[in-house]
Amino acid sequence: MVNQIFYVITVPMVYVAVAWCLVGIAVKVARVAKAPAHPFTLKVFPDKDHPVPSAVWGALSMPTVRRHNPTFWVFLILFHLGVAVLILAHLDLLPWFNIYPEDSPHMIGNGAVGVVVTAAILYFLLRRFASPLREISVPADYLLLFLLFCVAMSGDIISWANSWSENGFVLTKQDFGGYLDGLFHFSWADPAETIDGGHYVVLVTHVFLANLFLMVLPFSKIMHTFFAIPLNKLRRG
Amino acid sequence: MDAKLKQELIQTFSERLSQAAKMYLENCSRCGLCIEACHAYASSPETRYTAVGRAQNIRRIYEEYFKKGKIAKKLNEAVELSDHWMEKVYETAYTCTGCRRCMTYCPFGIDTGVIQGIAKMLLITANMEPKTLTMLADMSIAKGKTIEKTKANFAIAAKNLEKEVLERWRSEGGEEVVPLDVQDADGLYVALAGKHSIIPAAAIMNAAKEKWSLSYFEAVNFGAFVGNPAKTNEIAGRIIEEAKRLNIKEVVICECGTAYRVMKHMSGEKPFKVITFAELIARYVEQGRIKLDKSKLPGKVTYHDPCQIARQGGIYEQPRYVLNQLTDHFVEMTPNRQANWCCGGGGGLVAMGEKDFRMKSAKVKADQVKATGAEVLCTACENCHTQLSDLNEHYGLGVKVEYLSDLTAKALVQD
Repeated sequence: MVNQIFYVITVPMVYVAVAWCLVGIAVKVARVAKAPAHPFTLKVFPDKDHPVPSAVWGALSMPTVRRHNPTFWVFLILFHLGVAVLILAHLDLLPWFNIYPEDSPHMIGNGAVGVVVTAAILYFLLRRFASPLREISVPADYLLLFLLFCVAMSGDIISWANSWSENGFVLTKQDFGGYLDGLFHFSWADPAETIDGGHYVVLVTHVFLANLFLMVLPFSKIMHTFFAIPLNKLRRG
Repeated sequence: MDAKLKQELIQTFSERLSQAAKMYLENCSRCGLCIEACHAYASSPETRYTAVGRAQNIRRIYEEYFKKGKIAKKLNEAVELSDHWMEKVYETAYTCTGCRRCMTYCPFGIDTGVIQGIAKMLLITANMEPKTLTMLADMSIAKGKTIEKTKANFAIAAKNLEKEVLERWRSEGGEEVVPLDVQDADGLYVALAGKHSIIPAAAIMNAAKEKWSLSYFEAVNFGAFVGNPAKTNEIAGRIIEEAKRLNIKEVVICECGTAYRVMKHMSGEKPFKVITFAELIARYVEQGRIKLDKSKLPGKVTYHDPCQIARQGGIYEQPRYVLNQLTDHFVEMTPNRQANWCCGGGGGLVAMGEKDFRMKSAKVKADQVKATGAEVLCTACENCHTQLSDLNEHYGLGVKVEYLSDLTAKALVQD
């Protein structure tokens, strides 16, 4: 029974979560695109000569945060850069996507990137318990950050704490690569048949939490990933 | 609240959901950065008066009626429309000055003005908006409809101002001192109701030998203050029609920030340019069409950037250029330009009275003025002028609050 649940989580649920997430994002973006444009300009001055590149740079580098709350900015930049590296690191697990040496047992960043991301999420979560942020936060803010924290923490256990055992990596980059490759090619193979060891349950937990996150994403404020640039463009005219 | 009204409010809300509004309502991460941006919070730390605090009152209604999922609604603290909730909406909507300083803090640039625009429309639909503002807006509209009947009286009133204008600047022989209905004029000057808004401007334009005409309509747009787009457009439309009829090149808005923003940025494409009076003065000085005497303005002078012409209009340098021609003792406020603190009187607050709240919420502005050590506090917006004068009295700042136009007119060199 447990094996069957693990299989459902690591294979069919991944497909459902990814499809759900992609359709959800598309619907959300389409709904905004279908709405009428605002009847007048929303820019603030001084205006920019090149509003589009400026909006892209503004969305990526968050200059207003740097100016007004440098500590928060450092954590935001670490978090966003870390997530970008982690996306690459997950792709790099695929046997045919080689950024790190093919025979390396490590993910890109040797697990450190995930730890940085986890620390940043913890900071985002803890600051919400302090006033005045506590007064403007809603339960969804805490739960989303908690879910993200759990995803990151379980990922850390796989990619970093995994190497703490005496015999080195219990599960290696190649093990995860085989699993991801199977998913990518719709082999429907049970990863438990190729990935073994005591840490498999951590992998299942990580995948389950990541599935949940993907399913929640289109309904959450993480959608700012797709709207940060158009929003910044409005301010720039 | 009855079901019919609730339905009408949901309909009103849905009609206000532009692309921008949807993005603003769905993407705020409640990071709290905007909290520090609001002068009301900086003066009296209550989160309900912050941009995010105000927006949450609307965002929570949005969660209830425009988002799906029972659990998501609970987690996002969705609320149903009720009389009690509408009172909360009122409290935060009509205490926001629309200064949009929070936009310069928000990493996404969320415009509180757009969200409070929804709030104000909901209150109008519920017949809960401040009646003073609606009444003033309706009076402006009514005046537009009966203008032909009142033109003769207006001409007499304009004629009565001539003496005071001539005291500031003698007109060229044979020319009208306060001209009306001038076809093909270079500038249509749109003043406020009150001679203080006409006399210095007339003196300056006459000194510059401008071909100008005084508008029959007052510039102020109470439709914008109350938050009613239809009334806003109707009030602005009277001036637009007048400018078209006279084939005007440039509409010059007097020292009224909201009137400028509405005419320049919120009224669509127009066959004429729109400028502030501060820009026109700067142009005259730059072109040598007027000369100013620096001895007329003794003491340290500082300048308050009115939000609606500065942050919302980009008019930062022209008033400073003029002031530097009027004095050698100009000092900046800190912060200034885009980061300047709002005076706390915008968004209709001055027109509504609300003196206790205005004084309490603008302490940070009073402190900012005090820190300059200036004796003269200059601005280029009537709303700001009234609020700054009240702050001056309330906090004992000991400054003289002056209009840029008035300082300029008093310093005109008679050649």
